[in-house]
Amino acid sequence: MTDKRQDEERAALAAERGLGVLSGDEARRASALERSDPSFAHEVARWRGRLAALFGEVQPVQPPESVWERIESATSGDTPASNVIALRRAAARWRAAAVGMTALAASLGIVLIEQPRTVPVPIEAARPQAAPLVARLGDTDRAVKLVASWDPSGRRLILAVTGDMATDPNHSHELWVIPAGGKPKALGVMAGGKQTHMQLADALAQLLQQGATIAISVEPRGGSPTGQPTGPVVASGSLDQA
Amino acid sequence: MDRQPPTRAIDQGDELAPLLAAIQRGERNALRKLYDRTAGRLYGICLRVLAEEADAQDVLQEVFTTVWSKAGKFDPARARGITWLSVLARNKAIDRLRSRRKPGDPLDDASDIASDDPSQLEVLEQKEDAARLSECLDKLDERARAMIRSAFFEGASYPELARLEGVPLPTMKSWIRRGLLRLKGCLEQ
Repeated sequence: MTDKRQDEERAALAAERGLGVLSGDEARRASALERSDPSFAHEVARWRGRLAALFGEVQPVQPPESVWERIESATSGDTPASNVIALRRAAARWRAAAVGMTALAASLGIVLIEQPRTVPVPIEAARPQAAPLVARLGDTDRAVKLVASWDPSGRRLILAVTGDMATDPNHSHELWVIPAGGKPKALGVMAGGKQTHMQLADALAQLLQQGATIAISVEPRGGSPTGQPTGPVVASGSLDQA
Repeated sequence: MDRQPPTRAIDQGDELAPLLAAIQRGERNALRKLYDRTAGRLYGICLRVLAEEADAQDVLQEVFTTVWSKAGKFDPARARGITWLSVLARNKAIDRLRSRRKPGDPLDDASDIASDDPSQLEVLEQKEDAARLSECLDKLDERARAMIRSAFFEGASYPELARLEGVPLPTMKSWIRRGLLRLKGCLEQ
């Protein structure tokens, strides 16, 4: 290949990378070049700048106000915003992987408490979702599996752990519920050992609905000082019917 | 070839740059102001990519939560705020579009734009870009224009475009390459 031919090839590759049309090996090659070669990276960035003029063709559309409300609740709180976002991201990832939860719960020997038949009818009618719920929580490298089982009628949350969760004396694992579209609410700190039982107050219990996310973050010993997660999220998953 | 690298894209009149700087300092009212000024345009972009309101709203939310934590990545010397935000919104929307595909879809490998790759937000803009692009696009043949738009707004890759158009991959590549190089020649005149 002549030098001129090579230059043309690189110029074309930069244009294609800037447009985002590459796939497979070519995409990987262009991405690596962009990281390692400043003049190539410059040319790619110029292409992105040139093509950005295409955004001018798009008609603005006013989004519903609910979007702002969701942004506001996702970014509010005393915590650095990034933690809450990390928590939501982790939650979104695990929401996608809700297969086989019941089987996993069964394999861990968790027996869900059957709903008592003595609940008065009017209360049951007011709570149509009073069926037991389960969330499978995965940590990032899947070395630890956790299953949270929620029995709404007894307001009991049981967390079962398989594998070793890294612990140290200065930190606690704190459990959170994140209602769909809402802010994380602390449920309490996990006990050492393989199972944690929690009896939840009614206000918290109402947040444990199908689709809500259960997450675990690392906090200073005794739990978050701010009421919002301050440390990294180690596991999360969404509640679904058992 | 290329003239000297431009160091400053748009040095004046970017009203969003101070807002993005305030957001980086954690000023919440700046986030609201930014939203008021840009949400319509960014939502339009999300809808253009995703064509589905619920998904577009999710992505719009994600764009602003990302801005809240990562406004520091914006460099006013390289691009206007609205351009940076538009690229961010488009990339996230394309990610969402791809996540709809079933695992094992052959097009899964087609991902070039991924918003978690920070280089994807490296945008270098010059004042005359916007004015000249539409003029130069008009000089391309209609087919090349349509393919470039499809790649830009839908994240369509070469194999995908070739399949959609029913042409061999090398044909599609040469259409787009020729289009891009003609575009560059025209823009640099």
